[in-house]
Amino acid sequence: MAIFKKKARVSGEIPTASMADIAFLLLIFFLVTTVFDEEKGLSIVLPEPQEEVQVSQKNVLHLVVRPDGLVDVKRGESPSIQTAAPADVETIWRTEFAQNPNLIAAVRTHPDAAYRNMIAVLDQLHKAGADKISLQILE
Amino acid sequence: MIQGGFKKKSKPNSEIPSSSLADMAFLLLIFFMVSTTFPKEQPRRLAFPEAEQTKKVDEPRKNFLHVYLEKDGSVFINDRLVPMQDVSAVVAPLYEETDRKLVISLRADRDVPYRWVDMVQKELQEARAVRVTFYTNLEQRVTRERR
Repeated sequence: MAIFKKKARVSGEIPTASMADIAFLLLIFFLVTTVFDEEKGLSIVLPEPQEEVQVSQKNVLHLVVRPDGLVDVKRGESPSIQTAAPADVETIWRTEFAQNPNLIAAVRTHPDAAYRNMIAVLDQLHKAGADKISLQILE
Repeated sequence: MIQGGFKKKSKPNSEIPSSSLADMAFLLLIFFMVSTTFPKEQPRRLAFPEAEQTKKVDEPRKNFLHVYLEKDGSVFINDRLVPMQDVSAVVAPLYEETDRKLVISLRADRDVPYRWVDMVQKELQEARAVRVTFYTNLEQRVTRERR
């Protein structure tokens, strides 16, 4: 009889010993799974509207981004056009910039060229430390 | 009580009290839940271009405006589809609101034809929001690194 009585007496409380573990587990789970949306990318400053600057042709390095992703490089006044891969733009800029510190990179992109092709060239120019960059569309 | 008083005092409990541990943990949990701010717009799943020179932009979050440009040339600002010619009209008041500190995070799909990107740029210029960041993902060049 006494045995039965003991079994029938159950604890009326919810066990709280593991509550801290549960709470910390939740805390760590949310800490790990939260991803923050980082503001990153390639920064440029667009020219103000109606801000037209006359630049001598000899200070301009023309980079024409073609729809196939290749870049036509034209140096200032020289009529010769060199076709290069986007990855070579850094070297081209560095060699040209060493000769002319006033150089401006004029990136002109074909309307049908993919955005990433322009970004590839811009990336190379940023890598080469170019700060005077003009972004235009090829007309 | 009177007899064993000294004896009891000299035998302190050797365990760290753990009854309030749960309260502390929940407090932390609730603190982080309350202080976390979520972006107010739905993320758009676009394939962004990659660039090696991707840099973090140090600017308060409230000064950023995300301009999404999809492959077909549709522009989304704050979850709304904005016709291309209305972009400057939408951006201009936001530019004034942030004391002209607005930074545009242009989030365009990698395959969008450049004509749309150029149109967006011209619209942004018109709204005088000239600080633009082309949103890119960091390009991982594991194979080419340190040759």
